[in-house]
Amino acid sequence: MRTWSLLALALSGLLVAGEPSSARAADKDTLVIALDTLGAQVMDPIMDTRAPHAHYQAPIWDSLVGFDLENGGIGPGVAERWQLAADGQSWTFYLRKGQRFHNGDPLTAQDVKFSLERVMSPESISSGAAALRRAVDRIEVVDDLTVRVHTKGVIPQFVASLSRAVFMEGSVMPKKYIETVGAKGFRERPIGSGPWKFVRSVPGDRIEYEAVTYPHWRGTPQFKRLTLLLVPEQSTRLAMVRTGEAAIASIGPEAVKEARAGGMKIVSVPGTMQAVYQFWGLYRPEAKGSPLNDIRVREALSLAIDRQQIIDHVMGKEARWPMPFAAFRYSSDMTVPRWDDWSRTALRYDPARAKQLLAEAGHANGFRLTFWNTALPGTPFMVPIGEAVAGFWEKIGVKVEMKTVEWGAFDPMGRGEQKGLVGTASMFRTAGRPEPTPRYATSFVSKSVQHLFGDPQNCPALCADADKAYEAIVAEKDDAKRTAATNRMIELVAKTWIAVPIVEGMGTWAVNPKNVGYFKPIPGRHEFGDVTERMPRPEQKPWP
Amino acid sequence: MARVEERIDESALGRPRGDLARLPWVSFAIIAVLVLVAVLAPLIAPHSPTEQSLPDKLLPPAWEAGGSARHLLGTDVLGRDVLSRLIYGARVSLIVAAVALLAGGGIGLIVGIVSGYLGGRTDSFLMRSVDATLTFPTILIALLLAVSLGPGLRTIAIAITVLIWARFARVVRGEVLAVKTRDFVALARVHGCSHLRIMAVHIVPNVLNTFMVLLTLHIGFVIIVEASLSFLGAGIPPPTPSWGQMVSDGRSHIASAWWLSVVPGAAIMLVVLAFNLFGDWLRDWLDPRLRQV
Amino acid sequence: MQRFVLRRLAQSVLLLFVLALIVFALARVSGNPADLLLREDATQEDRAHLLRALGLDRPIHEQLYLFLAGALRGDLGESIRYRKPATEVFFERLPNTLRLLPLAMVGALALAIPLGVLAAVYRGTLVDRVSGAVAVLGIATPSFWLGIVLIYVFSIRLGLLPSSRMGGPSHYVLPTITLGLFLVAGMMRLVRSSLLEVMGSEFVKLARLKGLSQTVVIWKHCLRNALIPVTTLFGVYFALLITGAIVTETVFAWPGVGRLTYEAVIFRDYPLLQAVILLKAIIVLGVNLGVDILYAYLDPRVRYA
Repeated sequence: MRTWSLLALALSGLLVAGEPSSARAADKDTLVIALDTLGAQVMDPIMDTRAPHAHYQAPIWDSLVGFDLENGGIGPGVAERWQLAADGQSWTFYLRKGQRFHNGDPLTAQDVKFSLERVMSPESISSGAAALRRAVDRIEVVDDLTVRVHTKGVIPQFVASLSRAVFMEGSVMPKKYIETVGAKGFRERPIGSGPWKFVRSVPGDRIEYEAVTYPHWRGTPQFKRLTLLLVPEQSTRLAMVRTGEAAIASIGPEAVKEARAGGMKIVSVPGTMQAVYQFWGLYRPEAKGSPLNDIRVREALSLAIDRQQIIDHVMGKEARWPMPFAAFRYSSDMTVPRWDDWSRTALRYDPARAKQLLAEAGHANGFRLTFWNTALPGTPFMVPIGEAVAGFWEKIGVKVEMKTVEWGAFDPMGRGEQKGLVGTASMFRTAGRPEPTPRYATSFVSKSVQHLFGDPQNCPALCADADKAYEAIVAEKDDAKRTAATNRMIELVAKTWIAVPIVEGMGTWAVNPKNVGYFKPIPGRHEFGDVTERMPRPEQKPWP
Repeated sequence: MARVEERIDESALGRPRGDLARLPWVSFAIIAVLVLVAVLAPLIAPHSPTEQSLPDKLLPPAWEAGGSARHLLGTDVLGRDVLSRLIYGARVSLIVAAVALLAGGGIGLIVGIVSGYLGGRTDSFLMRSVDATLTFPTILIALLLAVSLGPGLRTIAIAITVLIWARFARVVRGEVLAVKTRDFVALARVHGCSHLRIMAVHIVPNVLNTFMVLLTLHIGFVIIVEASLSFLGAGIPPPTPSWGQMVSDGRSHIASAWWLSVVPGAAIMLVVLAFNLFGDWLRDWLDPRLRQV
Repeated sequence: MQRFVLRRLAQSVLLLFVLALIVFALARVSGNPADLLLREDATQEDRAHLLRALGLDRPIHEQLYLFLAGALRGDLGESIRYRKPATEVFFERLPNTLRLLPLAMVGALALAIPLGVLAAVYRGTLVDRVSGAVAVLGIATPSFWLGIVLIYVFSIRLGLLPSSRMGGPSHYVLPTITLGLFLVAGMMRLVRSSLLEVMGSEFVKLARLKGLSQTVVIWKHCLRNALIPVTTLFGVYFALLITGAIVTETVFAWPGVGRLTYEAVIFRDYPLLQAVILLKAIIVLGVNLGVDILYAYLDPRVRYA
């Protein structure tokens, strides 16, 4: 026994001693960010499918279309400008001069063509690959700095899909390098054209980067090195920022108060998501008897919610009054002021009116409501929001049967037949993105995944209206006409009270002002992969 | 000889302590209070455990500055009364522990005895099943069950049962291996007792000691596992109040609202301690050999 | 002894096969990785394409055949999330967990043996109760909470230790305590109860009659025998630690296999989940086999039975 313990002791001593020293507690030249997720931690843009790529891939690769840094939404990127052809069937992108990859190769139109085709290739599992395949007819290299993408039909939203403001399909990869070293070699030693060079990736632990030494259009990093740490537990991330082991940590809104109490600064990214609740399959025969099929009941359920209290207390004030479904204050293609006004009154808190509506509908004593409470990846605070919503519904007499489920278990229920969901309510969200239309296509069109209004076999009047409204938007080249059509779609959905916004969420971060200077996030983009290069050192720009 | 016997008695074994007079009253009282509170929860809780009042969120306990007598132990992030949640949580903890221990412990006891006593192929088969079970991470079972059954009390109880039976079986078997080589077992067999009778009459009382140690230890274990599952997001889902979930939810507020995790944490600690000390006494009381001394 | 070991090995292989079948089935009951990889606005067409790319559109029996045939060659497939061979992902992380486990076990034992001996020797006195209570505190505290409190006290308030992550020796202190402390109570109790039992047995009485001192009797004659049940538990505890490291690894951002298992479950990464569980099972079976051999060595009654 004693021998055994001695052996174990010696063994572990050996292991501790023999371990390579990992990243030191932040030295002044290294910017350390502690994150709740590093996604798939795979150094290849075609191999991650979800938002965390914008944490860890964005430092290395530039995107064809970039950001509007001030207002959110899209702006110049690798392409400094673009133009839609008169017939609406092709887009021409004009690339910035003098861009190069980390191995010195120049970035040309050939690389852009290669990258888009690589994203569409069969080996790609990028989540937008299918959409891109549906949209792109062919890609033409006009000259070294000009590339033309021919689309299948008129697709006004096409450019947005190539910006990291929305998703990752626009990443520009080095054609020559990948063709030389192969996909595997590329993943092991990735290079891109971004302001940070890849140094090493330790799975499940961290990724290290090094700043480029030449001026970069996205901004030349003020720190010599960047380290992204994977720290799954929020309390630990908070501790790391407080001790200075990390400069910045991603936190949820519930931790804001705790972070402030610890002397940290809070950075909130406006408009990163909208939390909503929605009713499933009400058009189906099984749901005909449900109280939810009375529009007065649905409106009452919205009036019962005190959104300001959720913003103040559940979200720690780091949230905003919501716009209509999937609409944000930086959205294009819609009349923002009109919908801002609408949401102030329509989404008000009026429990008396809610009770009156319930009584009118014959449910003065309430009714039973099954409510699926779930949180999508990256926004765990949806669960407490859901709890708060259920609490408000209880207060007007609704007996809420809340079922809290993990997202991986909930998501499949929402696909296909939706058997378990018909006639119930659930939490949902919509990620921050410039145009509302694609999100409406996901939820309300008869052929959509969620098809909340009806499916192709059973499409009542409302469902047919939504299909028509959607058709009117997608093929419209004229901005003014498209805006009018989008407004009509928003109005159509808003007055059904079937998918109802609760709050507009913000991405929240805790910052140690001794480790990093004052910086501003990009509205709507929670992740900091496109912000790190502009973060100053603490002495360069102190926090106000 | 008598002198030596006496010396051992005093120095190593202490005095026989099986009498009720030595009942650990404090532990017993804590357990009694716990059971009473759990049973009478609706009568004694000052508020509903799920009723929210967002403006009253994060109120400190009554004795702290800013606290109020309305909420003796303060309120949580959604303004729910911590005391009421604690009271209802006692119910949840007890039910989970009782179900999991009765099912898991019982199965483990039987498997352990059969395996250890019969030996041979049966033993190999059962012990390999035990090994297989022990290689399965609890959360995997809990998560998989949460998918097929939906998360909740039942899922947790089943998951813990699945986890616990193998631990019981393994330890009980180890004990049986030692017991069955004793003379009285061989004697019983010579006298023509059936295996079933030997297991029931001769083996069971001799492993009861170990079984009780395990049982009392595992009441705490069950409560802690439930808490850990809550931490990993596979626990008893809100709004049902459970102590584990409360500690887990409060962990992000250690510096600004300590009562959220400390209060249920202290409750867990007290109860686990009480059950353990009570179990100690129970073991001494039940152990036939020590009573003979 | 040799036959015993060989038989156990054969049994283990059979067990692994059954386990492989169970894991394969359970993983697929739990959901589909495609649902977690897709954006919430993905169409059925996107989903179909992704399934094809992941090889999950094949009929289930074909998937099972490919899995088993691969497993025989030592190929457990490619992790869906990390796009790398699953075994590679596992073995990248395993050393990190193995750095923590022996420390936690030795630490727990170092605390449990003295406490257990004290409690047994001074049985029924205040010393017994205090040792018991100290040991129980370890299991009475949820380890995630203990970890967070330790970080709060030792890194934030006192600034003595790093809050988390792997690094030099100082990085090992808090995770070791967090991981090891919950073992102490169980070990201490078993040391105590089996020590008491041994102290009452004939050969100890004989040793005392020979006039050996109390200390010698306890440390030399009793403890060795009293540790037998503890040895049995070592196998159990090892299995528990390697799967239970999940919580500690999460709190301390420790990139080990515990955390990896959890991720594999949450992301429904079938190949990774299968690989992690099978490889862990192989390790645990190996340790158990070792423990059984040790057990036979320590307790001659078992060897000759």
